[in-house]
Formats: sequence, structure tokens, C-alpha cells
Amino acid sequence: MVILLVEDDPAQLEPLHAVLSQAGHIVDAVKDGETAQWLVSQKEYDLLILDWMLPTVSGINLCRQYRQTGKSAPVLMLTAKDTTSDKVVGLDAGADDYLVKPVDLIELLARVRALGRRSPLWRGDTLHTADLQLHLTNLTLEREQETIQLSVREFQLMEYLMRHPRQVLSRDQIEQALWEWGTEPESNAVTTLVRRLRQRLQAVGAKDWLETVYGMGYRLNAPSLEQGEQGKG
Amino acid sequence: MFSRSRRNLACWFALSMGSILVVFAGVVYSIEVKDQLRNFDRELAKKSKAMAAEVQYQLHQGRWQVDLEDVPFLGSNMLPPYNDIVYARWYNPEGKLVQFFGATAPEQLIVNPGFQTIKTSQNQWLRQVTLPVIQDNLLIGYLQVASPMTSIRENLDQTRLSLTLGVPVALGLIGLTGWYLGGLAMKPIRRAYEQLQRFTADASHELRAPLAAVLSNAQVGLLSPVDEDGSQQLHRLENIVEITKSMSVLISNLLFLARHEGSLAPKVLKRIDLVSLLKPLVNEYNAQAVTQNLSLIAHLPEQPVMLNADPELLQQAITNLLNNAFKYTQSGGTVQLQIFTQSHRVIIQVEDNGIGIPAADLPHIFERFYRVDAVRSRQTGGFGLGLSIAQQIVEAHKGRITAKSNFGRGSTFQIELPLRSNF
Repeated sequence: MVILLVEDDPAQLEPLHAVLSQAGHIVDAVKDGETAQWLVSQKEYDLLILDWMLPTVSGINLCRQYRQTGKSAPVLMLTAKDTTSDKVVGLDAGADDYLVKPVDLIELLARVRALGRRSPLWRGDTLHTADLQLHLTNLTLEREQETIQLSVREFQLMEYLMRHPRQVLSRDQIEQALWEWGTEPESNAVTTLVRRLRQRLQAVGAKDWLETVYGMGYRLNAPSLEQGEQGKG
Repeated sequence: MFSRSRRNLACWFALSMGSILVVFAGVVYSIEVKDQLRNFDRELAKKSKAMAAEVQYQLHQGRWQVDLEDVPFLGSNMLPPYNDIVYARWYNPEGKLVQFFGATAPEQLIVNPGFQTIKTSQNQWLRQVTLPVIQDNLLIGYLQVASPMTSIRENLDQTRLSLTLGVPVALGLIGLTGWYLGGLAMKPIRRAYEQLQRFTADASHELRAPLAAVLSNAQVGLLSPVDEDGSQQLHRLENIVEITKSMSVLISNLLFLARHEGSLAPKVLKRIDLVSLLKPLVNEYNAQAVTQNLSLIAHLPEQPVMLNADPELLQQAITNLLNNAFKYTQSGGTVQLQIFTQSHRVIIQVEDNGIGIPAADLPHIFERFYRVDAVRSRQTGGFGLGLSIAQQIVEAHKGRITAKSNFGRGSTFQIELPLRSNF
């Protein structure tokens, strides 16, 4: 998932960023509300994790404004404010979950998964496209009883493609979604990554599923099951 | 919570003041009733005595006889000088009716001499006086006179009306006053409560933040695979050590604040020389000033300044002010430490030409955990407790700490301590 993590204390931000990245998420980590505000206007996120007390714009205001713009990605408040009234204010501001610091990272990861499951594509901890299954907890791809392990990068691209099936995704879009804010991918990074993922897909017999649309980008073309096209190409 | 207490306070106030008012109104009314009746009775008695004075008791044809000819109302040709007499009756000494004016009278005198209140069949209230008339030590008869109590009743009606209107209005006013006074009484309580709330919220935030950081650093260390040289794990452990150290400073500061609440016991105070206490401090900060590219100018008096104080605490307070000044003064700036005596007190001034404090924040800077700007203090690593600790120490020494600031141009903190302390 593409996650925006906002936390002003670097001592807390860094490990949170590390653990979420290790779990296969693409995490944009920022330390103040204003930057976060700008980022949500620029980019689509699958989840927002917000601290309450932030410099410039507070997490609660950030959440409210985000909801006012009509965006629906889940918001998780992660804060030291622990009274019932704080929780009520937080949830009423549009947060979907509220965790009080200090939080067990294992619980945090589970909550992140739980919030991610709200996506209509989610079934259990698995993403489905045709008969292809992407297991989110152990980063494996499964098709016709064949299972292969993906690298974190491959997994991230696969997840992004599966979440946008039959949609041409430009190189720019992929770069923006997969590379953290402020990091610049190498010029052929997307091409290399797509090539690697193609090899993986071939290994489960899903050859030519990842189509290059010349001059536009890439598209995940899963043959529909009814037409019995699978394995044909 | 506060509005409920305020309501309670207002209610109890209105209830107690209201009952006092009602009792008071009742007493006033009954006094008024008695007063009116006494006046009325006096008038009636005067009239009836004047009438009785007209009774002639004389020897007529060899017999002593009562002559009522000149008595108003009773006599045949007397014009009544008062028109408010309803009836007048004359009874002989045996109580037999002799003559009457007005309403039909009973043949026999049925009441004892004195005043009576009578209600007639026409629903009229009358005051009747029965007066034994004595001339030359001889009872010659009884004069009974009655007058309507209309004027009294009108007066009392008036009084009752003003009371029934006035008492509720006064009750309302009392209620409003109670509400206002309740608000007034609630204000300092509310302020103290809010301060405490803010303090606990801040303290919990400040304590949880490092805890959260320690926990997540440790857990990431446990969750992530060990890399070859273990540098990641090492980095996490270093983080944990750093955070724990800063947390321990915070906790000792908090404990310090809790422990040194109130005045100091006289026996912990020592007679110390402030100048020699501060000299090593100045040297220490001179070294720090060099590394921060600041200049520290100290104006210490030549002769010793003796006062009763706890040297460690006092040093802590001054250190906090100096730390603050160093923290918020940019490179190239100047920090000045001055000590001078003024009649019975010594003044310690720490002045800087740093970033200063906005006027809106100035009244709050001595509050615990108060930060002028969250970002700034997080970067400088403070908890917002230094100034409260300094204030608490100075106040424990019966002194005073004040701050002046010009936003953008620097701040001056001043400690005043009594020289000859009266502990």
C-alpha cells in the first residue's frame, strides 16, 4: 500500500517508516502538517497515518481537511492523546482507527492490514485478479497451484497493477506510486522492474499479462476466466 | 462539571438568601400590621374618649342622671365631627342598652371593655372599642364605638401587593447575583483545573513520545532481519540509549518539580556568597560560549554578596536561565549575566539578544511544558520545564522571577532574592 506517515518526532518516525517499508508498503514519511497537506493534494494514498500534535497543521485538522476534499482513503490516528474525548474528537474528524502511543508495531501492522482490507479488491489477505492471487502477508504470487516469492519491489509493483486492473499506468504514475516522495528513481528503474515482474509472471504461466502500451505505459491485462483464455498467449 | 457546580452554587445562594428574604418580608409585614392596628386603635380610642368626655352626669330633679345630649352621634343635635363611626352605643352600668346610633345593637352588653375586631354580615371588618366611662370614681356606663377598618385594610393590601411583587423580583435578582457570583468563584477554580489538565496532557504526551520511540526502535530491531555487520541493530540500540537518556532527564525534572513544591525549610539554607557560587558557572559557560560562537559577558560585583540559600538549587535556577539564553541566541550573539544589589535584595539578570519571545507567549513561559513553538524546542531538545523549575526554586527562596522580551531582539530574565531573608 502507498502510505503517508506524518510524525514530527524523528525518533518515532524512523522506526515506523522502517517497519512499514519492511512489510512491503511504500511509505512517504513527513514531519509536519503543511508538507503532508501538500502531498495529499499531489498524490493518491491508500492509507494515512497521522500524529495529532504536529507543527504547522495538526493531524486532526489534516484529517478533517482531507475528508472535506472528499477523499476516502482510511486514516489512522497515532497519538499520545489518550482520553475518551480525544478519541471521540479524532474519530469524528474522520479517522477510521485510533491508536494510543506507545503502540506495539505488530499491532500497528495488523491495523494497517485491516484498514487495507477495506479496499473492494481485498479478499482476506489476498488480492485477486482473474485466477492470479497476490498474498499480502508473505509477498507471494499464486496461480494454478504454483507459488513464487516476490521481492519487495516486485510485490509493490504487482500490488499497484492489481489495484488498477485494465488501466494504462504511465511510467510517471508508477514512479510516483512506488518511489517515496523525495526519492528519484534511476532512469531505467521502472523498465527494469517491469521486466523482472514479467519474468515472475511467466514463472506462474501468466505470460503477456503485463502489456506495454507503446508511448503510454503499462497495463495489467488479465484474461477473463469465462472466456477460457488463460494460458493461451 | 463547572456549569453544574456554578448552578448548584447559584441555587443554594438563591435558596438561602431567598428564605432570609421571605422571613424578613414576613416579619416586616407583621410589624406593619401591628403598627397599623395600634395607630388605628389610638385614633379610635381618642375619638371615643372625646365622645365620652361629652357625657354629662348630673343631678337632675334630685336624681343623678346621665345626659347624652351633647355626645356626638348619640345626642340629638350634635353634628358628628367624624364620619367614620359606624355605630355608637351607650350602655348603663348594668350593661343595658340605653341609646344607640347606627346598626341595631344587642340589648345587653356582651363583651368586656377593650378592643375587638368584628366581621359584620356585610363582610365588613370593624374595630370596636368598649369604654367604661367613669366620672368622680363612679362607673356611669359604657360607651361602645366601632369604626370600619377599610383604611387599615387598604394600607395592608398595598403592602401585601408590593411584597408579593417585590419578593419574586428580589428573588430573581438574588438568583442572577448568585449565578454571577458563582461564575466569579468558579473562575480561579476553572483556571487551576485547566492548568492541571494541560499539565497532565502535556506530561503524558512528553512521557509517551519517548516511550513510543523506545518501543518502536526496539521492535523494529527485533522484527528486521539481522544484517551482516549488525549496523542497523546498533543504530537502533543507540537510538534507544539516546531517547532513554533524554527521558531520564525529563523524569528527574518532573520529580524535581514535585519534590520542591512550596517553601524551603530554613535548616537546608546556608549562608553563601553568590559571587563565588557563580564564578565557576561563568567559566563553564564561557567555554560553551566559545563552541557556540557566542560571547558571555559577566558583571559580578567585587565584594561578596551574602544570602541564605540552597546553593545547589540556586545554581540550578541560574543554569536554567543561562541554558535558555544560550539556546535561543544565534551564533554571534551576546549573553550577559549581571548581579547587583538594591537595598534589601539582590538582582540576578540574564540578558540575551537572541530570538526573543512573542508578547502573547510571555505570560505563559513559566508554565510547565509550555513551549513558544513546538518545532523550535523539539529541535533544541527542551521539554519546557527549565523555566518552571527556575521559577519554583526562586519562589522557594521567597524571591521573584520576571521576564521581559522584545520579539526578535532578545529577552531579559531577572531573579530578585531577599538579601537578609526572614526565614
